[in-house]
Amino acid sequence: MSALRLIPRGNAGGNLSQMMGLSQMGRRLASGGDGIRLMVGEREVVGYGINGRPIYFDSQDCPFPAIRYREVTPELCAIREKELGDWKKLSLDDKKRLYRHSFCQTFVEFQHFTPEWKICLGVALWLVALGLSISMVLKTKMYGQLPDTFDEDRRSAQLRRMIQLQMNPITGISSKWCYEENKWKSQLH
Amino acid sequence: MSTWANLGLQDSASPLMEQLIFFHDHALLILVMITVLVGYLMFMLFFNNYVNRFLLHGQLIEMIWTILPAIILLFIALPSLRLLYLLDEINEPSVTLKSIGHQWYWSYEYSDFNNIEFDSYMIPTNELSTDGFRLLDVDNRIVLPMNSQIRILVTAADVIHSWTVPALGVKVDGTPGRLNQTNFFINRPGLFYGQCSEICGANHSFMPIVIESVPVNYFIKWISSNNS
Repeated sequence: MSALRLIPRGNAGGNLSQMMGLSQMGRRLASGGDGIRLMVGEREVVGYGINGRPIYFDSQDCPFPAIRYREVTPELCAIREKELGDWKKLSLDDKKRLYRHSFCQTFVEFQHFTPEWKICLGVALWLVALGLSISMVLKTKMYGQLPDTFDEDRRSAQLRRMIQLQMNPITGISSKWCYEENKWKSQLH
Repeated sequence: MSTWANLGLQDSASPLMEQLIFFHDHALLILVMITVLVGYLMFMLFFNNYVNRFLLHGQLIEMIWTILPAIILLFIALPSLRLLYLLDEINEPSVTLKSIGHQWYWSYEYSDFNNIEFDSYMIPTNELSTDGFRLLDVDNRIVLPMNSQIRILVTAADVIHSWTVPALGVKVDGTPGRLNQTNFFINRPGLFYGQCSEICGANHSFMPIVIESVPVNYFIKWISSNNS
């Protein structure tokens, strides 16, 4: 490979590879390039792009990629000739074709939201359902019975005792009880 | 004691615990403000359409977001230090209580008067009365006078235990072979519950502490009615 790099690009390389009967891809490889060059194909390099590599992508960050989107065609050459003249003579259709030659999508198209969110939401809800069903199975089948102290009568007796002992009288449970009227403050008035 | 769905600290029965609650609220307020600010900044990123690929530095904003947290930390540190020194103040206790942790009960000694000693075991769930508190009630409560400075000496007979009453803001480890001393002051009557706070074996969750705070004259009556 390195030896071939010393050969100047263009006809010499072409002749060499033609002599060796290589295909068009082989010719490009032989002329000393990396894999990215293969993607370029016949497309023109028109700038630096985001990092100097001849890659095409649509992005708001970098509105002008390094290469045009499509390869040069004879129809395009005709419009290009028109473009060299007065732009007011270009029809809307010509302008659109010129745009679509250089770019894949418009800003509105590539910034539009995709329907991916439906799949994300669906999978997330499935996982939530799975978690909930696991915890339901645990609650009904695996966990033992609660102690007796959780019965309603015992809990109300404990609550009465808490109020009588004035537990947490400042901001807690006893602060919500009216001791004069013997009922909850929320039940007054 | 903790009541159902209690998320925060228990109401205090001691002036120091009041101060701890105030400091906790103050620090939590600052934390909530910071969290809301950062959460807002992160949320607004969803709606940001600006891009600047060539940003290198911003000296002014970097100065601001270094100095401002330092100032906020000062607002936390100064009350914290004040509270720290307040908790260490010297005072004259009028009663001394000795608490010895065993596996798995507490024993208490009042040596100031008649040398009262007793053990305090948890009441098992199947022997509780209808209004008994599960895992909290004990057979013999610690009776202490309210509005008096109390000194407590905590130790243990076998493994490390920890004597704690959240309503009073007290937590002291009881280590075998060592006496740890602390002071507290109870400013209202009632029952104050706590649970052993250092893992000490199988029944670590089943050795609670109950303080019965009574007026001084009741305490004196209780002492004289209990001879060793």
